[in-house]
Amino acid sequence: MALRIISFRSGTFNWLFQRISGLALAAILGLHFVVIHLISNGTYDYQTIMERMASPAWKALDICFLVLALYHGMTGATIVIDDYVHRAGWRNLLYVLNWLLALFLLMYGTMIVLSLKAPVAAG
Amino acid sequence: MKSYRVKRHYRWHLGYMMWLLHRFSGLVLAAYLILHLWVLSHLTKGEAEFNRIMDAFNNPAFRLMEIGLLGIFLYHGVNGLRVFFMDYGPMAKNETYVKYLVGTFFLIVLVFLAGGLAMLKTILAE
Repeated sequence: MALRIISFRSGTFNWLFQRISGLALAAILGLHFVVIHLISNGTYDYQTIMERMASPAWKALDICFLVLALYHGMTGATIVIDDYVHRAGWRNLLYVLNWLLALFLLMYGTMIVLSLKAPVAAG
Repeated sequence: MKSYRVKRHYRWHLGYMMWLLHRFSGLVLAAYLILHLWVLSHLTKGEAEFNRIMDAFNNPAFRLMEIGLLGIFLYHGVNGLRVFFMDYGPMAKNETYVKYLVGTFFLIVLVFLAGGLAMLKTILAE
């Protein structure tokens, strides 16, 4: 078990989960791309999207996708902040903004995904 | 929190350039995620609103930027996989490191050309 051999101090968990989320994102992104651009033939048709998004499985997958992408992006941004911002005050400000942005996008994205319902038959 | 100066710059080596490009592309992708969520939020406002925003983005400038987006995704994804597998294979050895770097780079360019040309063809056909 990978989890047993790491220490949870000093960002080791973030290092490991950044890789795991990266691998998962590559796989889900591949699926996302194939379904939206190859199978649906690149048409961003409202009915097609709403029918797909009405399915609980797609909702669950898209929420996982969102959580992983936000975690991965937020951790990446933290590393960039660590490397280039050395004043404690600025660094803490950016950490807080990073967290707030990620939490906001998590709520925003989840609410969008959950609120989508199957469209009324086109009339 | 204790903070101190660290070395910000490394020797201009292909590996360093790809590392820089990796973080830059990562920040661009994070910014794109925000735009993507904002555009998709129009789905909740009904078909007319959604079509209005999609039409606003359906012009040659944005379509070309979409090809660039494909390139950025491919770069970040494929290079990320290289970084991952570097720890579990022969990629980190001195004699093979540059070979894998160049190989990764050409793989990205190849897939980008295939996908980008297909997208360009669709734009030109309209």
